[in-house]
Amino acid sequence: MNVDLSVRLGRLTLNNPVLVASGTFGYVREMTRFLDVSRLGGVIPKTVTAQPRAGNPTPRTVETASGLLNAIGLDNDGIDHFLQHHLPYLRTLGTPIIANIAGENEDQFVSMAAQLAAETGLAAVELNVSCPNVSHGLDMGIDPTAVERLVGRVREACPYPIIAKLTPNVTDIVTIARAAASGGADAVSLVNTFRGMAIDWRKRRPILANDVGGLSGPAIKPLALRMVWEVARALPKCPIIGIGGIWTADDAMEFLVAGASAIQVGTATFADPGASARLLDSLPEKIASLGAGSVREIVGTLRSNRG
Amino acid sequence: MSEALAPACAAQRTVTILANEPVAKDTYKITLDDPMLASQITPGQFVMVRAGLGNDPLLGRPFALFDVVRDSTGTPVAVELVYLVLGRGTAELSRKRAGEPLPIWGPLGNGFSGPPVDGGDVGFVAGGIGFTPFLALGKWWRGTASYGAQGQHTGSLVSLARLYYGARSANLFAGLNDFAHAGLDVRTATDDGSLGHHGFVTDLLKADLQAGWRPSKLVGCGPAPMLKVLAGIAHQYQIPCDLSLENHMACGFGACFSCVTPIREPDGTTDLKRVCVEGPVFDSRCVVF
Ligand SMILES: Cc1cc2nc3c(=O)[nH]c(=O)nc-3n(C[C@H](O)[C@H](O)[C@H](O)COP(=O)(O)OP(=O)(O)OC[C@H]3O[C@@H](n4cnc5c(N)ncnc54)[C@H](O)[C@@H]3O)c2cc1C
Ligand SMILES: Cc1cc2nc3c(=O)[nH]c(=O)nc-3n(C[C@H](O)[C@H](O)[C@H](O)COP(=O)(O)O)c2cc1C
Repeated sequence: MNVDLSVRLGRLTLNNPVLVASGTFGYVREMTRFLDVSRLGGVIPKTVTAQPRAGNPTPRTVETASGLLNAIGLDNDGIDHFLQHHLPYLRTLGTPIIANIAGENEDQFVSMAAQLAAETGLAAVELNVSCPNVSHGLDMGIDPTAVERLVGRVREACPYPIIAKLTPNVTDIVTIARAAASGGADAVSLVNTFRGMAIDWRKRRPILANDVGGLSGPAIKPLALRMVWEVARALPKCPIIGIGGIWTADDAMEFLVAGASAIQVGTATFADPGASARLLDSLPEKIASLGAGSVREIVGTLRSNRG
Repeated sequence: MSEALAPACAAQRTVTILANEPVAKDTYKITLDDPMLASQITPGQFVMVRAGLGNDPLLGRPFALFDVVRDSTGTPVAVELVYLVLGRGTAELSRKRAGEPLPIWGPLGNGFSGPPVDGGDVGFVAGGIGFTPFLALGKWWRGTASYGAQGQHTGSLVSLARLYYGARSANLFAGLNDFAHAGLDVRTATDDGSLGHHGFVTDLLKADLQAGWRPSKLVGCGPAPMLKVLAGIAHQYQIPCDLSLENHMACGFGACFSCVTPIREPDGTTDLKRVCVEGPVFDSRCVVF
């Protein structure tokens, strides 16, 4: 089956549209015994912050109906450790590396982006302006003016393609996506987790130590699809990376026709460590079954039932 | 499509259930047809098992190695796990029948290190379902079985392995015959007095130590309060002690950072470690309760 899987997201070109989502693939070391990561379109290691962060107390995760609620709290060793300890390894993997960063404020984002700009071997930078477990990230990600200015300043500080990863916890995702695009984002990643909670009524306590967390997994796929479709219709020129409950090639196809040019596999990796590689294996036949010879031919081809 | 599932992917597979039988109240032993896992896994390591057919329950559940099954030539062919039905995942698992497929990944975790270099006696302390790692560990340290690629034993083997096994009630004990058969000296305790000592399992250990018994190593697995008492005893008698922790996990392979626990570093600072990759076995002096 000769299907062209390559995709372009602004200045970023990938051999195929299958990426793995930040925070669900560790720093990739953990994953090489489960799949050949060099086959993936790219990998996005766990978010790094300017300073080391201990993250939230445990329990940090709880399973819910077809989903996972998490409040990890951006547990990481900071960007300096990332550059010294993880990046040299990541460069050897033979797959595009998209670094994911989160700042507590605009200046931190910009200075981290400048640090990444001085490094070789990155494919792009994803800005996590959407982590629901750290209040600052969320505050920034719900304010279109702040998002536009942030993306603009990061673009000036860093020559790599810039992806803005957006929170779904907003009234109108299109407004935020439009702001990211006007700021110069090469693409937007839709979406991060939905704020939610799980309760032990007998103890009259939330189950997560952080009380609330972010919902991911198959449960959120319909919500994520709706957001991808809305943004794709409103901003046809803005490349979208679809995220939310993607496990199989059928899930990926739904996001692609809805308007995503690439996808990220997240929580599915926890339940099925090799899911992303198997999804990639099955993708060409799904695309061919629509009579298409490339991913690009099917992106955004969904037609409304309402004319 | 299997070319992608070649060696690099070997840590995850779908295996066939050979048996899944009750062994005590709410407790089952499941046998998995998996020669590769059986030849790799060592005592103290665990596997993730996903019991759901679709995506609910979503995640795998961690279970420690109970024992490896060998064929008549001694070749490892299958892996046994013993589990207690607690919630949705284990309830689903208990309904599985021989012949059904089961997605698993492993071996995972660090596992126990070899027998203490100076031989001598060892004491194992198990609370509830925390007894599961001790059959294989006892066989390994007593030299009656070997696991994984470790092959030949080095150093002296332990002369006496004593298992202190506590449970809420007599009907929850499992594997007592297996332990006896493997030559472990089993002492039981129950919360309700229905079998063995009426009280904490750690009381039994304390009594033996007060009577002058000096094992060269202690190992514990069970509820955190029991492990904390055990760590205190080990400290008081200056006996090296390893604890196998059972923190709540989502992935089992180090990607999700759910199962972190504070561990004291040699320099006195504490760092959050992932129980699934840096553990589940830790030196009791490093565990912060
Ligand atoms: C390294 C390791 C080895 C383990 N080995 C065994 C074993 O050999 N046999 C065995 O029966 N169990 C073992 N466990 C515990 C087992 O994984 C849990 O009991 C199981 O995940 C519960 O799943 P569930 O879907 O039935 O329960 P859930 O519905 O997920 O939860 C039911 C209850 O169990 C508690 N629980 C959930 N996960 C854990 C956990 N990891 N540890 C303790 N309590 C938990 C929940 O808080 C809840 O109260 C081990 C755990 C770890 C981390
Ligand atoms: C345990 C966990 C940790 C996560 N950590 C991060 C993170 O560090 N940075 C980030 O941008 N997104 C993080 N995410 C969000 C995912 O990347 C993804 O956007 C979200 O889970 C939705 O996709 P899914 O349903 O496929 O998991 C995390 C998600 C989970 C479940």
